[in-house]
Amino acid sequence: MENKEKGYLALVLHAHLPFIRHPEYEDFLEEDWYFEAMCETYIPLLDVYERLTSENTDFRVTMSLTPPLCNMMTDDLLRERFRRYFNQRLELAEKEVVRNRNTQFYEVAKMYERKFKRIRELYEDYYHGNILEGFKKFQDMGKLEIITCGATHGFLPLAVRKEAVYAQVKIAADDYKLRFGRGPRGMWLAECAYNPGDEVYLKANGIRYFFLETHGIIYGSPRPRYGVYAPVYCPSGVAAFSRDMESAHQVWSAEMGYPGDYRYREFYRDLGYDLEYDYVKPYLHQDGVRRNIGMKYYKITGKVGLNEKAAYNPAEAREMAASHAGNFMFNRERQVEHLNHFLGRKPVVVSMYDAELYGHWWYEGPDFLEYLFKKLHYDQNTVKMITPSEYLERHPDNQMIQPSMSSWGDKGYNEVWLNASNDWMYRHLHKGVERMVNMANRFPNADGILKRALNQCAREVVLGMSSDWAFLMTVGTAKTYSTKRFIEHTNRFIGLYEQIMGNRIEEKYLADIEWRDNIFSHIDYKVFSTGAQEKAARG
Amino acid sequence: MTSSGQLNNKNNKPDSDYKSLPESYGNTEAALLPRDPNWMFIYWEITANSKANIAREHGHDVFEKARHVIRVYDVSHSSVDGQKYFDIPAMIDARSWYINVQDGGRTYCCEVGLVLPDGRFIAIVKTNTVNLPTSRVSEVMDEKWMSVSTEFDKLLQISGVEYTGKSSGEVAKSLAQRWEMLRSVFSRASSWGLSSMSSQTLVRPAAAEKKFWLVADCELILYGATEPDACVTVAGRKVTLNQDGTFSMRFALPDGNMDLPVKAVSKDETDSRQISILVTRKTS
Repeated sequence: MENKEKGYLALVLHAHLPFIRHPEYEDFLEEDWYFEAMCETYIPLLDVYERLTSENTDFRVTMSLTPPLCNMMTDDLLRERFRRYFNQRLELAEKEVVRNRNTQFYEVAKMYERKFKRIRELYEDYYHGNILEGFKKFQDMGKLEIITCGATHGFLPLAVRKEAVYAQVKIAADDYKLRFGRGPRGMWLAECAYNPGDEVYLKANGIRYFFLETHGIIYGSPRPRYGVYAPVYCPSGVAAFSRDMESAHQVWSAEMGYPGDYRYREFYRDLGYDLEYDYVKPYLHQDGVRRNIGMKYYKITGKVGLNEKAAYNPAEAREMAASHAGNFMFNRERQVEHLNHFLGRKPVVVSMYDAELYGHWWYEGPDFLEYLFKKLHYDQNTVKMITPSEYLERHPDNQMIQPSMSSWGDKGYNEVWLNASNDWMYRHLHKGVERMVNMANRFPNADGILKRALNQCAREVVLGMSSDWAFLMTVGTAKTYSTKRFIEHTNRFIGLYEQIMGNRIEEKYLADIEWRDNIFSHIDYKVFSTGAQEKAARG
Repeated sequence: MTSSGQLNNKNNKPDSDYKSLPESYGNTEAALLPRDPNWMFIYWEITANSKANIAREHGHDVFEKARHVIRVYDVSHSSVDGQKYFDIPAMIDARSWYINVQDGGRTYCCEVGLVLPDGRFIAIVKTNTVNLPTSRVSEVMDEKWMSVSTEFDKLLQISGVEYTGKSSGEVAKSLAQRWEMLRSVFSRASSWGLSSMSSQTLVRPAAAEKKFWLVADCELILYGATEPDACVTVAGRKVTLNQDGTFSMRFALPDGNMDLPVKAVSKDETDSRQISILVTRKTS
């Protein structure tokens, strides 16, 4: 069995949400993004890992859990609100089982009841309200490699000051250590956005590798000997793994993409709209407006109107997920065989996806992954699953290349985050960073309230840097919210900055902002100092 | 109810919040950002004080007499090439601009300034430098590579280079119907992309019989400024103004005539101005 494989598959799931937490409101719509992702993606993935482990199925997966997500997962307020969320859903699911007895929806109603019971069980009994415990457990077993991301998913190529790049990396690495008991080995650059040279700040924080979009390596110099099928070393010695397009398209493309199969669950027919108003109202937000509540009873069915959809059949959908997993595996086997022959070396196929694709958007995605892991383990020897760290241990010799600037956004560069809808942000963002750097340089040893104010300034600056705001403005839908968030963080920073520079810090004002934006409780504003950045750049 | 979803329904002018950010920071300064291999974004602030100093030195009407430009320097090999630059006409009060350059893979910096009637250049503010990516396969090969270089095209195909940049967009289109909402609300729609501006992507003709090839295309940028609270339409389509009243649009430019009437109506609707622009393109 040993070394029989002809190549490797590195599955990378990028899990991220912006930091959304509003203690000032009893009930806040955008917090649902997190609760939905918990119920549909993060906990179902842990459930898959739990089952595989209990069955002794070996697997390897790499996941980025971004610092904002880790901060939300461990936040007391959001924990309580999440409990409220899934308990409400469970209550509704239980009622629904009774209501749907002897109807065609009975099976799917049962499915939701099981699902929310299992979520409660995992969340409360297995992980005691902290699902990072779960992820850490699988990391410690060597099956899951958790990597980090810029502190707030900052879009690094649009930072003018390198102190900001250093701060994004350093804050993230420190946060990771706090949660997982060791430093991160890899980093997901937000949006895979790479600016040549920035990886020195990864190196300074002990991070050995990151990920690139295909053309980051293909357009690198000199030409990559193995295309995207082997990592390269940047001149600084940090490794870059690059995305395989074939496996990306397998999941995404219209002709052969899996999630569009007619047996899978239809996203747009949601109980939030289908149920009688008075019956569903307790499960809506306080404003009583009908919205998706995440429970859906129909399958895609075909190209028919939403009112002509057929009942969802969970067993049939799972079968399909198994069949798609088989197809995916078959294609990876052929791909790896072909590449092995062509390259004369064991290729590594890096399949990168948003984690939220699995479960939230493609409901059967976690089932697909579970079948894929099992099939890869039991049914073949051609492809071996691997984490980037394992790969680098086995194959430490790689070509040295300077990768090209790139991102995985539309058109491959920075336009999604820099266009007419959001370019107005950057003068404010850069000014905030510049002022933050100046303050960090000017106050090398602050304490007391000054230190608190400076730390809060650092929080506001990094929250403003979150690439999500620019992204949402481009996409247009949550534009109001994202605009509001960017302006709030900018203005809170300006308010604190003026108080600090005027030597008139108001404790009440500061305490209020600390209460709202409580991310990174251990932040140290000195990460923004020029000295810290220059030291890191020197290596 | 307390969230933006609600606010959105009640407030048709969500952008009004912009105004709560400072208009300016009181420093004459500029920054240059990379957008893609052929585009950069520059923003600047020039204080009244800086303007007054220039007017004192070069005449009170210097801002009317001189041409306002962004001088774009290619500083890739600064010591060798010396002063390699070109000027883009701009308006100093625009405060930001998109800059198109012919060559990716080079290093640029810019100065915003004035060109006097006698040709002298007054630099007002200078940006940082920016390295743009090349967006093509490197011509640098190591020895080892040489021996297998004939295989490289095939490797590129396998690696999916033909999808590069537009891959995500194409996938987006095909899945758009089903995933419309998903891409909008939740997280990283970037993995299947979205289209923000209608730029045409140049596509290299598929494996031509001969090696030599050429592609060229042309786009149109329309820009202007008015009172920030005015209502502006271009060819009947409403334009969103930047907070300072400037606007710019980028169009695909097909062959033929394009009529672009630009119309501004004041907030109280008592005043209006119109400028008509007719563009003709002929490709042969």
